[in-house]
Amino acid sequence: MKISKTIYLFFIPGLFLYSIFFLYPTVSALFYSFTDWDGLSDTFQFIGTQNYERALTGDSVFRKTVGNNMKFMLTVVIFQTLAALAFALIVLKNTKANLFLRALYFFPTILSSVSVAFIWSFIYDPSLGILNQILELLRLDFLQQNWLGNSDIAIYSLAITQVWFHAGQMLIIFVAGLQAIPEDLYEVAKIEGASKWQTFSKVTWPLLAPSATIVIAYTTIQSFKAFDLVFAMTGGGPNNSTEIIATYIFDVAFRSYNFGYASSISVLFMIIIATITFLQFKALRSDRISY
Amino acid sequence: MISRKTSFISLFFMFPLLLAGCAGESTETGTTETENGSEDQTQISFIHWRGEDKEVFNDIIAQFEDEFPEISVEMNIYPSEQYQATGQRMLTDGSTGDVFTSFPGAQFEAIANAGFFEDLSGEDFVDNFDESLITVGEKDGQQLALPYQLVFNMPVYNKGMFDELGLEVPKSWTEFQEMADTLLENDITPIAFPGADIGPNQFMNSMMMNNAPDEDIFEKLQNGEESLTNEWWVKTLEDFQLLEQNGYIQPDALGTSQDSAMAMVANEEAAMLATGSYHMASLLDLNPDLELDLMAPITVEESEAQYEGINTATFMLAVNSKSEKKEEAKEFIRFLSKPEIASQYANETGQHLTVNGVEYESEVLQNTAYWIDERKTRFQPRFLITNAQIEAAVLSSIENVLGGAEPMEAAEEAQQIVDENRE
Repeated sequence: MKISKTIYLFFIPGLFLYSIFFLYPTVSALFYSFTDWDGLSDTFQFIGTQNYERALTGDSVFRKTVGNNMKFMLTVVIFQTLAALAFALIVLKNTKANLFLRALYFFPTILSSVSVAFIWSFIYDPSLGILNQILELLRLDFLQQNWLGNSDIAIYSLAITQVWFHAGQMLIIFVAGLQAIPEDLYEVAKIEGASKWQTFSKVTWPLLAPSATIVIAYTTIQSFKAFDLVFAMTGGGPNNSTEIIATYIFDVAFRSYNFGYASSISVLFMIIIATITFLQFKALRSDRISY
Repeated sequence: MISRKTSFISLFFMFPLLLAGCAGESTETGTTETENGSEDQTQISFIHWRGEDKEVFNDIIAQFEDEFPEISVEMNIYPSEQYQATGQRMLTDGSTGDVFTSFPGAQFEAIANAGFFEDLSGEDFVDNFDESLITVGEKDGQQLALPYQLVFNMPVYNKGMFDELGLEVPKSWTEFQEMADTLLENDITPIAFPGADIGPNQFMNSMMMNNAPDEDIFEKLQNGEESLTNEWWVKTLEDFQLLEQNGYIQPDALGTSQDSAMAMVANEEAAMLATGSYHMASLLDLNPDLELDLMAPITVEESEAQYEGINTATFMLAVNSKSEKKEEAKEFIRFLSKPEIASQYANETGQHLTVNGVEYESEVLQNTAYWIDERKTRFQPRFLITNAQIEAAVLSSIENVLGGAEPMEAAEEAQQIVDENRE
């Protein structure tokens, strides 16, 4: 079949928007990453790879933010994926109650990050916060924590908030994936005498792999870019313990007025996300099967 | 039927949502007061970050427009964090921020280096300001900005409570600790410290003012002549450690927000709020029976103390050098610096000002006005750190100590960041 050349015209609007909003900023970031531009002045100088050298060898805060980001990302990916999958299995059937529960679980996703940050800052407040009060009521005082003020646990407290915020979104993807698995396969498994675990591990999970790939990849990217929540809840503190790469880029660009250096961190950030996402896709793709 | 497991999960999602229903708007959105003027009118843009002053500015702008019908003012207010991030970007083409405000310190330096400040030296309205309080707006002999507000970044204390307990304002570190012990004996937390937000960056000023009386100390730190591992800073961190270890600040201080700390003082659970004079009006809103004053900890012996407190001349008014309406912009600043207009602004916002001849009517402003002339205060040291990454390192070392690190260890870690960011 011969495709008319006019079909290529349909690419133009999308390509135009993509170029303006994605390609241009990306290329600009790459360009400025080789300069000492302060973000305000009309002039700047090219300084070669100095910014990259500084980020990779001479910036202990940047190294710390990468570590914090990995902790945050791993916690969110593990807990959010497991929670979303578990909830999806629970509310899989299209009953009225389950439809309501799916909507309920999805609801946090539509809230603004600032509202979520406000709510959870209140929950975590060590003196007025509801979480420590509940623990006290349950006589679990030993579990009470300075949730956002303790530099050892603050990043995990933020990760739990992120899980609450976005698990509902992933639940919908899992529900769609689960409902696409043919019922016959479960019937065959039942006839063959498969246990619940065997049914899950041999039927459900392999056929859910495409959905899981999307959930894990999206969650990873989302947790790397969780700027607003972190910024509003802790601002990167205490003692940089919750500073992640995105908030650090903001600090360097808008508080220190070092756009050139911030651009180089952005480029490195992009490379880190792309590498991790690529590895995840590769690892999860090998699990895929079809019956 | 919904199982118990499902109910539990639902609760996990629902509970914060119930709180969401109760939650108010947490940030002040930018607001605009626009009057579409006639063709003969020149509209100037005024940008700043003081959302709480919107009402009084609207009134002042209306008076200005009555007096100068050929000029209209469009005011845009941004939350301070956003203003710090985007304020200076808006100045670049000259269409926004004909009159703008700047923070002292890193933002002032950045805007000055980018050349966005119009030199106001020689303008007649500069004489309306107290000469000694506007030096922070000078650079290279030019008056680039005019600080409008004068705040005292030092603890607010419950004077009534002190009188009741027979406590005097301590004049030395030893007396300060005795005072704090007396408060503890009376089940009162000496200092409410909002460590989750502005606590470290406000309280560091008074904690270090006498440990490092040299006002060039941070300039020296930035050019490598000084180090955070030297005595002046390590002693400051040790003093913070002492406050934490002796229970002079509340437990879990690093997780305490500004609102929680204010509630502690308003409820008289704590005697001092480690922020500044700008919170006095809010404290009185929470508890009108409070009698408040200001007090900075003297961290040395009485004979060694050189300063009694901290001042900051801020909310620096400036004219955008890229603007095409500079004369109209200057007219607006001239209007703001009139004593009667400044008095209205001061009394309605509860702020001391740098303008001469302001008459303070509110009791709090009158009671604390003696800090302007009668007390030896120094300009907020934090704003003398012009590199934001170095400032963050300094503040992080305080958080590190309050989180349990040893002062020297925290100082070394912070100094490494200083070394990495020195220009």
